[in-house]
Amino acid sequence: MEKQSEDPAAAEPASSGEEGGEGGPPQVAGAQAARPEDRVSLLLRLRAQTKQQLLEYKSMIDANEEKTPEQMMKEKQIEAKIEDQEAEIEEVKIAVEMKKLALDSVLMDHMKHVLKLNKLIMKSQQESWDLEEKLLDVRKKRLQLKQASESKLLEIQTEKNKQKDDLDSMENSDKIKTIQQNLQMEIQITTVIQHVFQNLILGSKANWAEDSAFKETVLQLEKNLTMI
Amino acid sequence: MSVLRPLDKLPGLNTATILLVGTEDALLQQLADAMLKEDCASELKVHLAKSLPLPSNVTRPRIDLIMFVVNLHSKYSLRNVEESLHHVDATFFLGRVGFLATGAGRESHCSVHRNTVVKLAHTYRSPLLFCDLEVEGFRATMAQRLVRMLQICAGHVPGLSALNLLSLLRSSENPSLEDL
Repeated sequence: MEKQSEDPAAAEPASSGEEGGEGGPPQVAGAQAARPEDRVSLLLRLRAQTKQQLLEYKSMIDANEEKTPEQMMKEKQIEAKIEDQEAEIEEVKIAVEMKKLALDSVLMDHMKHVLKLNKLIMKSQQESWDLEEKLLDVRKKRLQLKQASESKLLEIQTEKNKQKDDLDSMENSDKIKTIQQNLQMEIQITTVIQHVFQNLILGSKANWAEDSAFKETVLQLEKNLTMI
Repeated sequence: MSVLRPLDKLPGLNTATILLVGTEDALLQQLADAMLKEDCASELKVHLAKSLPLPSNVTRPRIDLIMFVVNLHSKYSLRNVEESLHHVDATFFLGRVGFLATGAGRESHCSVHRNTVVKLAHTYRSPLLFCDLEVEGFRATMAQRLVRMLQICAGHVPGLSALNLLSLLRSSENPSLEDL
């Protein structure tokens, strides 16, 4: 009297319906990558289903707890009551729809407000970013100036050192050498002249110690010119 | 147990079960095949029965939706359905029962008047669908509709329950019923 037909063929694609249901052969790599997401979506669907079924069972329990009229009413009365309750249900549904619409409009206001605030936030973020850029530029310039001053001071130092070196080297230059040689020559000549005069005076056997001016001259001749 | 009660067992995970009751075996089998071919994220189970009560020695999963198939060409199928309706608990009619009338295309062969079925559906406050199950295209469309209804009745669609669906389906029928 009773026949059952299950869905073994459809059970496979039903459970993996998301990956095979697109039509066309599923690519191996793509199917493997999509499987954890399919599992998650399957779990989410099962969760939604279980919630809905729980809601239905709960409403059944609540309905069973309501008291049913004990007395037998005439069929017409029962029908009239049924129609009243159906009208009530319709009214409640309409009220729910109106509330939904009202909530949606309030939602829209909030969303617009949120959008405005977001725009303001973006603007002020942009401004702060620009200011930070300027600060960065100023800092860069300061760094550059510091480096320039450093290099200039270095230059000054090298110049000073060069001058000192020049001075030192000048002393070793040729001109000074020739001048020094000339000086030495002159000194030698003068020394020879001194000796000549000394010997003249000594040879003349004059008493040079008596006359002060004479004594001065002789002592002067004695001066060693190389010590000057 | 001789009376079918809804929500009497725990649901299977991701499973939805429909029971098709009717005398036309071939049509029911074809409809069942069309439903199983449908692309559905949940697992579908289709049970076929000629009439209620169902034999109690078989373990079956929780039935989410019962569709009574009436062939407008035979009065016997209508009587069969009427008798089977007694074996269904009243709470089942809160959106988990539907009537399917087939054979309305060939008006000359109809021995059951259309209004009879309409009144039957109105008495039981359940949706009535018309479909010529012998035509392949209509059968496929009806199978799609049934699959959607089944998903909602099994609780697989968040935010929409069987009762919800019932009142949704009813509001389009009401104007015609007031003419009766």
